Amino acid sequence: MGEVAELIDRGIKAYVSGRVGEALRSFQEVLERDPENPRARSYLLLIHGGAAGMVPDPIPLPAPAAVPLPGPGGESAAPQPTLSPPVSNPPAAPSSPGGDQFAPSPWDEGPAAAATFVLEPDGGLDLQAVAEKSDLRPLVPDGGTPPAAQAPARKEVDVWMQAAKELFALGDFTGSLELIEKILQVDPDHGSARDYLRQNEATLIAMYESKLGPLASVPRLAIKPEEVMWLNLDHRAGFLLAQIDGTVDYEALFALSGLPRLDTARILANLIADGVITS
Amino acid sequence: MNDLEPAIGIDLGTTNSVVATVRDGIPRVIPNRSGQTLTPSIVAVAKNGKKLVGALAKRQAITNAENTVFAAKRLIGRRWASKEVDDARHVLPYPLVSGPDGNDVRVELAGRVFAIPEISAMVLAELKADAEAWFGRPVNKAVVTVPAYFNDGQRHATKDAGRIAGLEVLRIINEPTSAALAYGFGKQMERKVVVFDLGGGTFDISILDIGKSVYDVVAVGGDTYLGGEDFDRRVIDWLTFSFAKDNGGVDLREDKMALQRLKDGSERAKIELSGLTSTAIHLPFLVGGGEGKPALHLDRQLTREKLEELTRDLVDRCIAVAERTLKDAGVRPAQVGEVILVGGMTRMPRVQKAVKDFFGREPCRGVHPEEVVALGAAIQAHALTAPQPGLEVLLLDVTPQNLGIMVVGGYFQTIIPRNTTVPTSETHLFTTVQDNQTSVRIAVLQGASERAVDNELLGEFVLDGIRPARRGEVEIEVTFDISADGIVGVSARDVVTGQQQSITVTATSGLTEEEMKRILDERVDELLEKKQTTQEFDLRRERMSATMAEIEGLRPAVSEALERTRFGKDAVQKAEAVLSRVRQAIEARDTSALGEQEESLERTLQLFKGLAGAGRGPGAR
Repeated sequence: MGEVAELIDRGIKAYVSGRVGEALRSFQEVLERDPENPRARSYLLLIHGGAAGMVPDPIPLPAPAAVPLPGPGGESAAPQPTLSPPVSNPPAAPSSPGGDQFAPSPWDEGPAAAATFVLEPDGGLDLQAVAEKSDLRPLVPDGGTPPAAQAPARKEVDVWMQAAKELFALGDFTGSLELIEKILQVDPDHGSARDYLRQNEATLIAMYESKLGPLASVPRLAIKPEEVMWLNLDHRAGFLLAQIDGTVDYEALFALSGLPRLDTARILANLIADGVITS
Repeated sequence: MNDLEPAIGIDLGTTNSVVATVRDGIPRVIPNRSGQTLTPSIVAVAKNGKKLVGALAKRQAITNAENTVFAAKRLIGRRWASKEVDDARHVLPYPLVSGPDGNDVRVELAGRVFAIPEISAMVLAELKADAEAWFGRPVNKAVVTVPAYFNDGQRHATKDAGRIAGLEVLRIINEPTSAALAYGFGKQMERKVVVFDLGGGTFDISILDIGKSVYDVVAVGGDTYLGGEDFDRRVIDWLTFSFAKDNGGVDLREDKMALQRLKDGSERAKIELSGLTSTAIHLPFLVGGGEGKPALHLDRQLTREKLEELTRDLVDRCIAVAERTLKDAGVRPAQVGEVILVGGMTRMPRVQKAVKDFFGREPCRGVHPEEVVALGAAIQAHALTAPQPGLEVLLLDVTPQNLGIMVVGGYFQTIIPRNTTVPTSETHLFTTVQDNQTSVRIAVLQGASERAVDNELLGEFVLDGIRPARRGEVEIEVTFDISADGIVGVSARDVVTGQQQSITVTATSGLTEEEMKRILDERVDELLEKKQTTQEFDLRRERMSATMAEIEGLRPAVSEALERTRFGKDAVQKAEAVLSRVRQAIEARDTSALGEQEESLERTLQLFKGLAGAGRGPGAR
């Protein structure tokens, strides 16, 4: 499952950086390994521009490679209707040659088919939307965002918000929080996002703190001091670890860290999970 | 243990504070609740809103600099417009504001303005709580030490800090006097003693003439911005530059977390080098390595030789100050009978050697330099609360500085000299300097300078209605009265006409009586709240301990029941986990954690009752 987590991380990072193609590939790989993975399904829904309330079921799931799916009459199965991508535009492309042997893939429909693009009234493609969902960068330098270009951002915010709510409902508070933070970067006054921020944070803090035990207990190093440098920590975890000297309790560590409570709780819970410290 | 109410001595330092007492006739330092003898004189409000005092506040002093108050002693009892406050404003990272009417200086901490005595009171309250934990009973009486150069206002402010902390300050005594007292010099021959005090933030040198029970501070010198922190800074700089050299110019000072650890590590290394010739500074994952790169470690070896090289000029500065102070006092190093080392920095071998070379004699050893002042204060506190025949040493309340008035030419005329025992009264005659002069202005001052302008103005008034006469013919009688409480009354009277005018000068900490009342009320509220929390914890602990006992009582029956079934083992395992969490919460005195487990514990009891009941059921034998 470590691979799955890594793929999800990679997918999220790619998505947040605007490398949608790479994100899509990562989440698809996750589903190959764990077809019911809720995070991957939610992100795929997001990438496909899922509307509010849309369930993430109709995400294309690949069948095992080169294994023909027998139909009721013993024929190779065509892609099942429920597995078609949740896009309305353009319509699903015909199966590729030899499709009898391969499971459907969103790439069968071409990269553009994987996302919802807004067509201009005259039928032209919204290049800004393409640019935002593409790995390609605009060839012309940014000259300030034209007013028309802000509409997709607002639209995306709604999609992100919906996905954040669904991730929250699925119990993926970290994923939900990441999206909420993304929304608040675009719209710092987004009321619903603020509410979910608080709920996500409170839930995550409670989750991590439950792993610490009583906050008045004093954590101690569970490994030899000379082994610390062989760990894989960032400097914030290094700072917190340096404060753990057998005299300071968890509550004091929260005060000392200077970090948001969620970050401190997460670092400490990870240190416990990795066997670096013990209560 | 005797039944006398315990009394403590407190060394309220600029950087660290120490509390001590006399128990079974032996002066001893009281460790704080973390087991340390030194408590950093630092107060903070952490980013999560928690109030921190002492070591915890120190450990986040850099990462949360704007909400951490240190060195409050530099500001206590000072006027807003004073040079010292102006100097401090350039150095201190936390915001200072003027008190009402500019009488004093205040500090802004987490959006609230505090008077300096309130900040010092937080440190004193922490020491009081440590002492109470050690004695296991309330402690209310204390002797607190201050530098010999503190004026009335500063002493009064320190006393107010004690009052806010819930302490009755029996006496304020001079730090060098306290150190000498701890060495027991009063019992020996008369001699001249130098107290060489190199603390965390300041360097003070005092020359004392000690008789059988008289401790006269005859000269004071020092540098208020020279101390252990300067030594630490040299190590920090050395580490920073070498780290930048090894890591492509990464400047650790730009990262607050890295700088905090660097400071802690540097201080630790410096302390270790007082006993070792070399030490390792090992700070793993100190700073981020840049995008996608692992965090960087700092790993250096520091030798005593290198530390001495880095700090040579600081030690030289101490000796230069000592030389100047002795010269001003007309004392030759050879005339000094003893040298007492005070302050943690004097444990550095290079400092000890410099002192020995300058005075031509080994400094006194035997008492810990960081504890000696508090021990002296504890001895004084003990003498005041448990007087014993033949030992009623010790120190009398004396005026800390010369008191007098301004006379023609802008000079300062002393009327009551420093170290005069109070209460006291003194009268001097003055005369007019102009023909037909009908009024005189009496400016009341305190200080050591001959020039009035260099001393502190305590108050002034005008005596008018003087009979017109040639200069020098009118005699004005000026009387200073100091009560046992330190209140100074000054009156001026025309000897012939009897015309009189007077003022009363009361040393003030800058806090008004209303402010003091509000602060004390707040403190009472805090104590009540704390008491309520403690009571709540005790009640809950009692209740849950009874439930646990009941569970333990059912355990044999439960074990018996489980032997006959394959069910219930998981539930029992969960129950064990609940019991373990309850025990941890009780040990940590964590009321809320205990509360969280109360329902689970109750369910566990019901489960055990059920299992035990099943075990005793009809089918059971």
